[in-house]
Amino acid sequence: MAETKHAEVTYEDIEEICEEFANREGAVVQILQKVQEKYGYVPADAIEFVGEILEIPKSKMYGVLTFYSQFYQEPRGKFVLRICVGTACHVRGAGLLVDKVKEELHIEPGENTEDMLFTLEPVACLGSCALAPMAMVQGTAYAKLSADKMVSLIRQFEEEAVKQEEPV
Amino acid sequence: MDIMLTETLEDVSVSSGMQTELPVIHIGMATCGLASGARGLLELIKKEVEKRQLNVRIVPTGCIGMCHNEPLVDVTMPGKYRVSYKNVKPMTLNQIFESHFGKNEFAKKYAICQIPLAGAQPYEGLPLMEEMPFFKGQVKIVTKRCGMIDPLSIEDYIAMDGYKALKKALTSMTPEEVVQEVTKSGLRGRGGGGFPTGLKWSLTQKSPGPEKYVVCNADEGDPGAFMDRSVLEGDPHAVLEGMIIAAYAVGGAQKGYIYCRAEYPLAIRHLRKAIEDARSRNFLGNNILGTDLCFDLEIKEGAGAYVCGEETALLASIMGERGMPWPKPPFPAQKGVWGKPSVINNVETLGNIGHIILNGGDWYASYGSEKTKGTKTFALTGSIKNSGLIEVPAGTPLREIIFSIGGGMVEKKIPFKAAQLGGPSGGCIPADGLDTPVDFENVVAAGAIMGSGGIVVMDEAACIVDTAKFFLKFTQDESCGECTPCRVGSKIMLDILTRITEGKGQEGDLDELVRLSMYVKSNSLCGLGGAAPNPVLSTIRYFREEYEAHIRDKRCPGTVCNDLIKYVVIEEDCTTCGLCEPVCPSGSVTWEKGEVAHIDLTTCIRCKACVDACKFRAII
Repeated sequence: MAETKHAEVTYEDIEEICEEFANREGAVVQILQKVQEKYGYVPADAIEFVGEILEIPKSKMYGVLTFYSQFYQEPRGKFVLRICVGTACHVRGAGLLVDKVKEELHIEPGENTEDMLFTLEPVACLGSCALAPMAMVQGTAYAKLSADKMVSLIRQFEEEAVKQEEPV
Repeated sequence: MDIMLTETLEDVSVSSGMQTELPVIHIGMATCGLASGARGLLELIKKEVEKRQLNVRIVPTGCIGMCHNEPLVDVTMPGKYRVSYKNVKPMTLNQIFESHFGKNEFAKKYAICQIPLAGAQPYEGLPLMEEMPFFKGQVKIVTKRCGMIDPLSIEDYIAMDGYKALKKALTSMTPEEVVQEVTKSGLRGRGGGGFPTGLKWSLTQKSPGPEKYVVCNADEGDPGAFMDRSVLEGDPHAVLEGMIIAAYAVGGAQKGYIYCRAEYPLAIRHLRKAIEDARSRNFLGNNILGTDLCFDLEIKEGAGAYVCGEETALLASIMGERGMPWPKPPFPAQKGVWGKPSVINNVETLGNIGHIILNGGDWYASYGSEKTKGTKTFALTGSIKNSGLIEVPAGTPLREIIFSIGGGMVEKKIPFKAAQLGGPSGGCIPADGLDTPVDFENVVAAGAIMGSGGIVVMDEAACIVDTAKFFLKFTQDESCGECTPCRVGSKIMLDILTRITEGKGQEGDLDELVRLSMYVKSNSLCGLGGAAPNPVLSTIRYFREEYEAHIRDKRCPGTVCNDLIKYVVIEEDCTTCGLCEPVCPSGSVTWEKGEVAHIDLTTCIRCKACVDACKFRAII
């Protein structure tokens, strides 16, 4: 894995988010969700600030953070390949999709590619079982996938990224 | 789903399309529709409407249940029944438009059925929706509006009797009478627990104190289940109405929470819009409909923890804690959110409330079986032809669900092996059990649970041991770690199952699995651990031979477990054609002209390419 570049977090930014939820301790999950929405993950500094503002001990902050699988403590790739590995997808070959991505991008589940373009994230059931096997990338659902289709999707995202970087 | 949708919809004139003088085009835009290309289709429809200078209404709808036929487009001409088109592609769109707007008929080639509308005329030569095998055995109560209305339009909801039940409850019934009506209906928790809803409400009502809460459990986490997603996406106001009625019935709750899993972005967006619209019409807020009831709602997004579907864990999560369950008592009805009495119901349960209040508890109880009243929604998936969302009276035999409504197996040649009901807490029912009436009691007797409604159908090509391992891996991952039987017990069981699928199973493994299962079942703190061994127990009960084949013969009859697959060429059947040789990615297949092919198992990666390439079934 590549060395990750962490986001710069200011106390003021975090204070603003906490105030939005009236600094309520009960809103800590929502606050962390907001933080993640802003930075793409939950930076260590942010955890520290939230704990300070809401007067929650660090141990408890990390307790909550690590309990939920959707909080990330490291930056993530531009395209998070969320491959459904729920029951219906499993019986229709979701495992092959995951294996293909591993082979194609040389990453394990939860890891980013070196260029920070892709993250592989197998998830338990996206609730679209009739479309199995399926995946969701940047909020768009892709139905009835195969290993080959997965590869062409990856190529498509790579092209998209190149296009975005090219000066207009 | 994509946030773009709202913007797209705003410039479309949106209306109910129940009774209309304008032609209406409905397009299924729930997650299943969108994933099948509905968004692109909507753009094309708009373009086509513009090109032909038509005055029509375009109405995006939720899921009607036929996920296998998405994208679905319906056309309703004034005075005529609504015609449904399946698997609509850009190519077919033109012909559909031409038929309706050019020739004033329907496109025979692509239409699947027509939906009757009051005061309108049918087309000839097209079956009615209720005549289709998929819909014939269904009774739609909670999914009645899904796929029929625009879920983002409160007007559409109101046009189909929406918020009528709320008015009835608030203006002509006492809270006690509301609870009584729900009790009379026999409605039981649709999240899988099966606890009588009326009793839950009555307990909360009787709990002392002025501060109470209503919580909607929309943390549908069972893999293979999407009933709640469909209801939230297709008819969000129904859930809201159920919650407001609950707030009134439990003695004036002021605040409600909807705890929805973050994997359902479209459902969350539809809920947000519904709450906003309900507020603007005073169905939420202060002095609802001029009464003393003051009630408002907040959405809490889950953060990816399956155990939060357990009610006490969910409450802990709402309060910003780790989502760990607490031992009951105290029950949420006594001490729930912030230590106050709380009623917590599942999406489908709440979706039924409006219909029960409006039509009466006796009407609801007239459907269903002796101990399970009303209807139940199911998500039909796996190796089944008509995968999708269905709603049937409780007690409908499994055979009817799978073979009549579901249309049987997707691959005609591969026979049915088992149906998995109830997700990670459930079990497998084999072919012998196909006549089991699907209700709370009978499914439990058959070794599974009705659960929240996921039915995953497996054919002979599936491996039972692998399925049991799959579910155990899931519960093991999701075990919150609070109690040892679940945390450690499930790990040891998973290790044994993994060993079996790797060909390292030993005699006595099955007995050990059963012993551990009983221990984990009886000693775990919450429902997650208590039910975790079910998939293992039910599969050992019905498919012991398949386990034994893995353990003794080191053979996987479903050819799923990679380590146990040994592809061999059957000499008598091999025509020496050589098709298998070039497709092998690892170069393990050797073949010379006129010779029988040979597979080197030491380098074979079990990709199955040679099996698929062989036209003579000479490789197994």
